Amino acid sequence: MRRRLAAAVGALALAIGPGAVAAPAAAAPPAPPDSAQDLPTATPIKHFLVLMQENHSFDNYFGTYPGADGIPKGTCMPVDPVHEPASDCVRPYHLEEQAITDMGHNSDVFDAEYDGGKMDGFVSVFADQPTVGTRAMGHYDDRDLPFYWNVADNYVLFDRLFTSAATGSVNNHFFWTTAQAGNPDADRLLPGGFDHLTTIFDRLQKAGVSWKFYVQNYRPNVNFRTATTGIAEASAQLVWVPLLSFNRFLDDPALNSRIVDMSEYYKDAAAGTLPAVSFMVPFGASEHPPGSIEAGERFVRSLVSALMTSPSWDSSAFMWTYDDWGGWYDHVAPPKVDRFGYGFRSPALLVSPYARKGHVDHTTLDFTSELKFIENNWGVEPLASRDRAANDITSAFDFSAGPREPVLLGRSRVPPEPADTPAATVYASYGVAVSLLVPFLLAPLRSSASRLRRKGVRS
Amino acid sequence: MTTTRGDGSNLGGARARPDVAGPGGRREEAAAGGAVGGWVTTLRRRSTRRYIGWAIVVAVPSLMLRLWAVDALGVNSDEAVYAGQAASLARDPAFLPFFPVFRAHPLLFQSLLSLEYRAFGVTTLGGRLLAVAFGMGTVWLTYAIGARLYGRRVGTLAALLVGVMPYTVVVSRQILLDTPMAFFAALALYLLIRYVQTDRATWLYASAVALGLSTLTKETAILLAGGIYAFFALTRKTRLRLGQAALAVAVLVLTVLPYPISLKLAGHTSTGGAFLTWQLLRRPNHTWWFYLQAVPPALGLGVVAVAVVGIVLMRRVLTWSEHLLLAWITVPCLFFEVWAVKGFQYLLPIAVPVAVLAAMVVVSVPLPQVRWRVAARTVTTAGLRAAVAVLLVASLAVTSWNRVQPDSGGSSFLAGTGGVPGGREAGEWIDANLPVGAELLALGPSMANILQFYGGHKVRALSVSPNPLYRNPVYEPVINPDLQIRQGNVQYLVWDSFSAGRSSFFSRRLLSFAERYHGRVVHQEFITATTDEGPVREPVITIYEVRS
Repeated sequence: MRRRLAAAVGALALAIGPGAVAAPAAAAPPAPPDSAQDLPTATPIKHFLVLMQENHSFDNYFGTYPGADGIPKGTCMPVDPVHEPASDCVRPYHLEEQAITDMGHNSDVFDAEYDGGKMDGFVSVFADQPTVGTRAMGHYDDRDLPFYWNVADNYVLFDRLFTSAATGSVNNHFFWTTAQAGNPDADRLLPGGFDHLTTIFDRLQKAGVSWKFYVQNYRPNVNFRTATTGIAEASAQLVWVPLLSFNRFLDDPALNSRIVDMSEYYKDAAAGTLPAVSFMVPFGASEHPPGSIEAGERFVRSLVSALMTSPSWDSSAFMWTYDDWGGWYDHVAPPKVDRFGYGFRSPALLVSPYARKGHVDHTTLDFTSELKFIENNWGVEPLASRDRAANDITSAFDFSAGPREPVLLGRSRVPPEPADTPAATVYASYGVAVSLLVPFLLAPLRSSASRLRRKGVRS
Repeated sequence: MTTTRGDGSNLGGARARPDVAGPGGRREEAAAGGAVGGWVTTLRRRSTRRYIGWAIVVAVPSLMLRLWAVDALGVNSDEAVYAGQAASLARDPAFLPFFPVFRAHPLLFQSLLSLEYRAFGVTTLGGRLLAVAFGMGTVWLTYAIGARLYGRRVGTLAALLVGVMPYTVVVSRQILLDTPMAFFAALALYLLIRYVQTDRATWLYASAVALGLSTLTKETAILLAGGIYAFFALTRKTRLRLGQAALAVAVLVLTVLPYPISLKLAGHTSTGGAFLTWQLLRRPNHTWWFYLQAVPPALGLGVVAVAVVGIVLMRRVLTWSEHLLLAWITVPCLFFEVWAVKGFQYLLPIAVPVAVLAAMVVVSVPLPQVRWRVAARTVTTAGLRAAVAVLLVASLAVTSWNRVQPDSGGSSFLAGTGGVPGGREAGEWIDANLPVGAELLALGPSMANILQFYGGHKVRALSVSPNPLYRNPVYEPVINPDLQIRQGNVQYLVWDSFSAGRSSFFSRRLLSFAERYHGRVVHQEFITATTDEGPVREPVITIYEVRS
């Protein structure tokens, strides 16, 4: 099989330079045993990978995607919904290459935009911020996000995945890893850490299910104990990797060794040694405004491509979401499930050899739905009421069909131009030329034959 | 001193035997027989049996050399392009994205091959068998030309020489345009001879059509029109009337018209023009000595020597036949010697007249009659002639036999001489192992073509110049390959020793990309090289997976 061969060769050869490879591929040592493959699972998925990107709403990325619950026709957001709701409004518009800014996205902003369910505060909430203006009503489409839209065309797009908490990054990341808001009082890290919480990784570790937390540009010296040293750029790592706020995940080598740099992901994928469960977070390519969405898309593409070329592809599922809505407009009022959420919808995509092709999944989900899938698949206990009650993502799969071959998707939305094959023109014109030979050959041959016949008659 | 000719004919043009065209020259009787009984009678005739016997003597080694392990090596770059074009014409979806129909040369051979592909599917063996069929057709035409000019013995020997000649054998085992082009060129020569012998203009027009078809196969065949012009300008044998010449030219133009017409109708007029511009402006790809070094050994040094020595000896008694054959040889030789772009197979059409001249010299050049006693045996002039003929045929056959062995065919990287080691295997590995949509960057376009043919993935080439003056217009340059890899548009790099040998600069550059972008060797192809310390496996193709 394709990937087994790749694994064998990959394990052999990391050498650079054609002459540096001393042995032929056939002499490669076997790949290390893939322990994740041996674990019993409820589905054919043996490797589940989840990535959390940053700060975009569903309508901001896929509001115009055909077949999805996107921006309703006629949408126009009132500039002043309280005093003059009908006087002036802003229509959703394509952002093109406009510079964007980091809009507010805390619980106050959520409440103002939500406006008791009227969903009309997306412009007014930023009225006093000229640098933001009406930017929240801007959106992207396939011109800006060709790879993500290609993924949606070929795999699964979820259009009802709500952020778990109606607030910013901290609590949403905790819901993602513990099924609970880390700090019930505010969207902030606790100075003393979160040792009181149970994480999905505790569950997995106890059950003997392999896991890793891959961190782009990982700095092992940044954790909740060192946060006070004022490494500004490191604060993102602290928020996006909740495990760095747990003493046990810092002190226990069995746990700490599983928090690794993203470069290990590529090695694990290539060698076919991915763990059963992989959590991933970005650093520079998070798509967090004002960062480049193109850089984020390239980052995600490289992760997905590495999985597709991995020996583990046949039994994998890769899902990515966005930790909060980033202040952007979304037209769906989120259901109220508890005091924390849901928040507005986030884009969410799934790539897997078992993913339905071009499927828009309308199941109501939140970040704990990923936990739910892990729990169901590997048979571990739920962490809290939220994940216990959540829908999982099984509806996005079709396990009755065999695993699909991977398709490396590009960053071009223009379908490859069908090769121009004017076969009829070619056949007709060249056929005429060849047929010319017939009369020009027959004429002299016929005259020679008749001459010979005449000679024969005379003799 | 008494001189003899192989067929007992005298000098001064009577070497030509215009009415000899079939078994025993009794075609009229066979035609009169009509029914089955007539054929049986014909077959029982001794001359017919002898004719069939000689046909077998010629056909068996010719076929054997052309078919032996014919598909043992994968296609080379040019073969990949022509087979790919034919597959696209046959609308095979696996090739449509990678091989546009309109690239460079006309499409007669590709059109014929596409019909075969439509019927039997795309295989390299099918393409090569079609080329072999044209090669065998050329062998038969060589007989017809030799027999018509100098008699059946010359025709048979010439056919045998062409049948086992390394030049024709090696090229006709490949999906190249040159073998069918040489076939139509030989047909044009044969029909032209018929015209000169009979003075019937219809033969001339038929020759023009054949030359047109040769040009429709590969445009360089039009050079032979220069040979025809030179012949008519120099010969006293026949006077070409202006009206006939004009009509022949019109027929030639009419036959060639499908090339520009199909380009025009398909909206690809610029394709042909761009290719021509590039050919005119590109830098020389070989030295001035290339043809002298490459072609005579392929024709057979003995064959060339015999032909040259014979022509020199006969210089005072040359007839229109030799003039025509020499004109047919000289014009393309002169042109391609001057032309910057040189290719091993470009001179293939001269193989037929060279073989006919050599056979004529062996069979019928005037020689003193000898009768020597050597070791109780009598050596006669006829015996000497036979010995030279056997020597020539044997030397060619042995050389060809060595050349068609799979382990030797792949060791030469000269375009047109065989396959590229490991190319097919690497392409098949790509097809089986890389995900759909993966893009590769090879060192040069030759390997890129091969990998696209077998691998079914987009392969671009690092060495394709961004400067339109220095690249074949059908190839797409990779602008800023660094960025392409960094952005994930290229996921694999392909290093190969064939391209690296041609450009160490691009080899170093590609390897630097592999190093910079976490290159991981995912596949290699090896050949076994013989060294002082014994056989060593050397990598010829290495595929790296890269990421930013």
